[in-house]
Parts: sequence; C-alpha cells; structure tokens
Amino acid sequence: MPADPASDSPSVTWAAARDGIRDAAGLPALMLMASLVGVGGLVRDVGFPMGAGVLSTVLIWAAPGQMVLFGTIASGAALPAVAVAVSLSSVRFLPMTMALLPLLRRPGTPIWVLLLISHFVAITAWVHSMRVMPDMPPERRIPYFFGFANTVLVAAALATGAGYYLIGQLPAALAAGLLLTSPLFFLLNMVAAAKQPVDWLALGFGIGLAPFAIAIVPSGLDLLVEGLVGGTLAYLIHRFIKARRAKAGAP
Amino acid sequence: MIAWLEQVTGGLWPYLVVIFFGFLPSEIWRWLAVFFGRGIDENSEILVWVRAVASALLAGVVAKLILTPSGALVAIPLVWRAGSLVAGVAGFYLARRSILAGVIAGEALLITAAVYFSG
Repeated sequence: MPADPASDSPSVTWAAARDGIRDAAGLPALMLMASLVGVGGLVRDVGFPMGAGVLSTVLIWAAPGQMVLFGTIASGAALPAVAVAVSLSSVRFLPMTMALLPLLRRPGTPIWVLLLISHFVAITAWVHSMRVMPDMPPERRIPYFFGFANTVLVAAALATGAGYYLIGQLPAALAAGLLLTSPLFFLLNMVAAAKQPVDWLALGFGIGLAPFAIAIVPSGLDLLVEGLVGGTLAYLIHRFIKARRAKAGAP
Repeated sequence: MIAWLEQVTGGLWPYLVVIFFGFLPSEIWRWLAVFFGRGIDENSEILVWVRAVASALLAGVVAKLILTPSGALVAIPLVWRAGSLVAGVAGFYLARRSILAGVIAGEALLITAAVYFSG
C-alpha cells in the first residue's frame, strides 16, 4: 500500500490521539485506577514516600512488578535480590512488546519512538491495542496508542497517590473488590480479544497450567515457565490444525 | 544497605531504589524487545508463537492473582474468587459482549461474598 502523504497530516494525527484518549478515559482508566490504588496503599505500608509510589507507577508501569518491588523490600530482601525478582515478574514485556510493535511500526519510524512506545506496553494498553490496531489505518495507530496509553498512565499515577492516603480507610469488602478488578478486567479483555483458536488455546493453557506451575516451579520463575510451555503448546496445536486443514483442502 | 543509602543520598534513596531496582530491571525487557523485533514482519509465523506465549503469560498472571491472593482477598475462599471470574465472563456474554457488564457481574458476586465472609 503506497503511503499517502496527506494521511500523515497533523489533523489526522491529533484526531487519532483524541480517539485514543476518549477510548481510554472510560472503563480502562477506571480499572487501572482500581488496581493502582492498592499499590499506593502498599507503598505506605512499606514506609516509602508517596512520590516514590507515583514514580514507580510512571516508570515501572506494571502493577505486579510494583507489588513485587515493595513487597520484597517489606520482607527485608537484599536490593540485588529485589531487582532480580522485579525483573522476573516483568519478563512478559518481551513477548508482549515484540508482538505489538509490528502493528504500530511503519517504514521509517525512528528507533527512539519505538523505545518510547515500548515503555507504555503494559497489560491494559496491550490487550486493547492488539484488539483494535489490526482494523485501524496504519497512520493512525501510533498517535492513537500514545493518546490511549498516556491517559491510562496519568489516571493510574493519580490513583497511586490517592491510594497512599485512602486504602487504609476502606471497608474490607470494598478492598477485596478493588483487588479483584485487575484479574477480572484482564481476563475479560483477553476473552473479548480472542479471535482465533490459538488465542483460546493460549488463554486456556495459561489458566489451566497455573496451579501446576505454582506448585512445581520455584516462585518467580513459575509464570515464565508456564507462559513458554502453555504458549508453545497452543502454537503447536494451532500448527497441527492448520496442517490438517491444508491437507483436507488439497485436491 | 538501606542505612548506607540513607546517609549517602539524604531523603532521596526511596526514589533511587525505584529507579535502579524497579524501573531498570523491568524496562530492560521492553528495550530488548525493540531490538529483537526489528526484522520481524507483522504476518510472520514466529510472531504467532510470540503472541501465544504472551497470552499464556497474561492468563497465568490472572490465575496467579486468584490462586495466591493478597490483602483483603485472602479472607474469601477460592471457590468464590474463581466463581467471580466465571460470573464476569458469563455477564460479558449475556450482555452481548459488554466488558462493563462483565466487570459489574464479577464484582457484585465477589463483594457479596466478601461482606458474608469478612463481615
């Protein structure tokens, strides 16, 4: 498809960014706020200043990684061990970013833009983008992504600060509800985004293998092993189905 | 180590801990992905596998948050935590694929269970 110079005009870019902001400003921002409120409360429990919690949201941009960071600090672990634990909890960003970038990248996109995009990769923006990007004109994708991702990031940063002061005052039932929002919202997004059998297989293996991975694999490595095994199984079955279909369809 | 940091940096050490022991160890994977992914085409076969691994990992995160809960979720039995996810997915489909309806259904069940179990 030849690039149309007019389609890169500032008005197209801003319109796409505005659409991203609009799509993020509802449920996605609210759900992320609910999960980062909990991180804010944890930061306070550990005795860190509120600003360090907000900084962790903006920089680490992964609630599970932040939980690991502050949780292991609270347990008195040595700082190098803390870094290893945080790093292991964030390995998922490697396959996630690798899968997303080809959808956003265009010929000539500078490397610093790709690095900046990669920083905003986290579950909410990733699942949403994997769903909407394939049907979006390529010139709209990067501005849309930045509009969406910055909106959820700002909302999450505010929620971290608010959670620092609020979480202790919530009734237990509401606090439990807040803790459910991340798994529930992630799962629903994945169900909504699943189109092909391989998506469903990966989702099913990811959940089905979890109890075994948690029981057998050393903590910290369990998700990594599970993702590799579950994802590879899903892929192999997908290959098998495709090969059989090709054979059946052959004259 | 923390006492030493406190002395060297004044009050800044929590921010430095976040940057050096939180941000850098986690950001490295995003940067590596940019370099590993440079030659890969949108429709290439290896990307199907990478995507499957990413999805399985995310599903694993969901399962782990439910199986090994933290905070106020601990007080709620596993059947109800997992049941809330099932209720969420059911709500999603019953309301013609509405994520909002799914969230409300799952949260309603969990908060009801939480009121019952934690008083």
